Amino acid sequence: MFWRVLGKSIARRKSRVALAIVAVLMGASVSSALLTTSFSMNEKLSAQFRNFGANIIVQPRSDTIEVGLPGISFGSVTEQRYINESDLWKIKRIQNWSANVLGFAPFLYEVVDVNAGGQPRQVVLAGTYFEHVEPKITGNDGSDWYTGIRNIATYWDVRGSWVANDSDGRGSMVGITAAERLGLSLGETYEVNYADPFTLNVTQKELVVAGIVSTGGPEDSQIFVNLGVAQELSSRPGKVHVVQVSALCFNCPAEKIGREIEYSIPSVQAKSVRQLVNAESDIMMRLESMMGLVTAVALGASTLGVMTTMTTTVVERRKEIGLMKAIGARGREIASLFLVEAALIGLAGGLAGYLAGYVLAQYIGQTVFGSAVTVVPVVIPLTLGISMAVAAGASSVPIKRALGIEPAVVLRGD
Amino acid sequence: MAPIIELMDVTKQYDAATRALDGLSLSMEEGEWTSIMGPSGSGKTTLLNIIGCLDSPTSGNVRVAGTEVTGLSQKRLTLFRCQNVGLIFQQYHLIPYLTALENVLVAQYFNGAVDESDARMVLEDVGMGRRLDHLPAHLSGGEQQRVCIARALVNAPRLLLADEPTGNLDSGNGAKVLELMKRLHKEGHTMVMVTHSPDVAALGDRIIRLVDGRVASDDRNGESRSKVVGDIAMEAEA
Repeated sequence: MFWRVLGKSIARRKSRVALAIVAVLMGASVSSALLTTSFSMNEKLSAQFRNFGANIIVQPRSDTIEVGLPGISFGSVTEQRYINESDLWKIKRIQNWSANVLGFAPFLYEVVDVNAGGQPRQVVLAGTYFEHVEPKITGNDGSDWYTGIRNIATYWDVRGSWVANDSDGRGSMVGITAAERLGLSLGETYEVNYADPFTLNVTQKELVVAGIVSTGGPEDSQIFVNLGVAQELSSRPGKVHVVQVSALCFNCPAEKIGREIEYSIPSVQAKSVRQLVNAESDIMMRLESMMGLVTAVALGASTLGVMTTMTTTVVERRKEIGLMKAIGARGREIASLFLVEAALIGLAGGLAGYLAGYVLAQYIGQTVFGSAVTVVPVVIPLTLGISMAVAAGASSVPIKRALGIEPAVVLRGD
Repeated sequence: MAPIIELMDVTKQYDAATRALDGLSLSMEEGEWTSIMGPSGSGKTTLLNIIGCLDSPTSGNVRVAGTEVTGLSQKRLTLFRCQNVGLIFQQYHLIPYLTALENVLVAQYFNGAVDESDARMVLEDVGMGRRLDHLPAHLSGGEQQRVCIARALVNAPRLLLADEPTGNLDSGNGAKVLELMKRLHKEGHTMVMVTHSPDVAALGDRIIRLVDGRVASDDRNGESRSKVVGDIAMEAEA
């Protein structure tokens, strides 16, 4: 009987109920859009920031030696030190934040002469991992764990192809500026010579241009080869100058990750690229506070909308409520009629609002972040919960009013 | 017969200037049909509301069906009313979006047990068996009043209270409703009816006239048994 009375009473006031649903829909759509965007943003922003490159730099710990006469400093020199390649896996096995370490790429730099067009030119050659399977690390499902420049520097704009894997001893990727200067093009073979600064022994290596890289940064004037190739060329097996680490750092302290890396590999110092981390948190904080404000305003408007509609309904149904009370309806029965109606309005408005919000989130994703927003399942119950709470909360004053109706007063014969 | 309604020195004061009932004392017996008459503002409806537990007196005591209702909580009053009192209104007060049958079922629902066959039987009993699925808007005034009476009867109350039940009806429909009420009285229902019409009032076993919230006269079987102060009686006659 309850549902029959409720259903028929709603059916009779379709337009008013629809109005309340629209009021909820508006608030719910904004909440849903912002929740979806906010949740997706964790992934999206991290991915975007990852595109900027690594956010932790690992270097060998070196003692700085001050040089000069008493009272006059000529600056400082550092003894050249290396990180052992055999220690690199430990970066992924730090104590607490290992899951946040997305990947790393080691670099060994050397200056080489390139014979191109008969004219030798000096250029920086960097040995790195392009797509390296780290044998000491496996994924949760036992799969191989890949790391390397291809994982952490997705902002590299590559023409041609990437150097395939560690076993490729001839493939190289040439920065666009270097390629122009050296007159190198895709598929071309060229020779590099490395002269040891101490022994003056010269080693040669023939390389092929697999890809041409454009980053807008210093990489544009460098040549990249597999780490093993660079180590062999300069006779520094197992040595690395620097490691760039990409950590998922949405609200996580990169400094802490850095300290854990230093703890795992005592001979290194790991510094966070603080500016990048701060920018991440700053953008997120600004976005979240703006979103919070918009959501609060939208939900406030929804509450007012539902409250107005429900109050009008109570006023219109005064006699009916009085009659129900006169023939035996208790307060909770009257309240549940209105509360369930409010919950249904919240549910309908919430569902429609979720869908509208998803469309809105897609728009925000496309325009602000340039990528599609994914479906975040937890947003559905959250939006429905918020909508139903708004509808129920907004109905509390009208319900109180309904409960205060005195049958003797409203049923008095006119 | 045991009194089913007892009012002792009942006063109802709405505000400093408005005293609807003024130290009223009276009793009504089970199975009795009492008509209440009086000019507008004499306290008829207030008296009916207090007997029907829709309103509480400012002072005095009210005993209905053996229960002292003065001082009962709102919740207990509602329950008591639901189980013991059937209300018949001048305006019928049917829920407009529910059919005749559903309007009766609602009263059962609030009393805690819905029995559709019982509701149908009561509607058939008041001559509405063929209009069960009609909405109030599609029923005549007389038909609506009969649905209202069926709703009042469905929980088998000990007391039927009617406020001007024929006040909104033409003479034909009014007569049909009165016939129904006479029958219900014959079947043993205790009835208290507020009316302006002396002819309708005369159908009752007893006519109480109120003036300014006090009993001006109390006639039983046509014989005045009033113990009322002379000037009030004179005012009533006037």
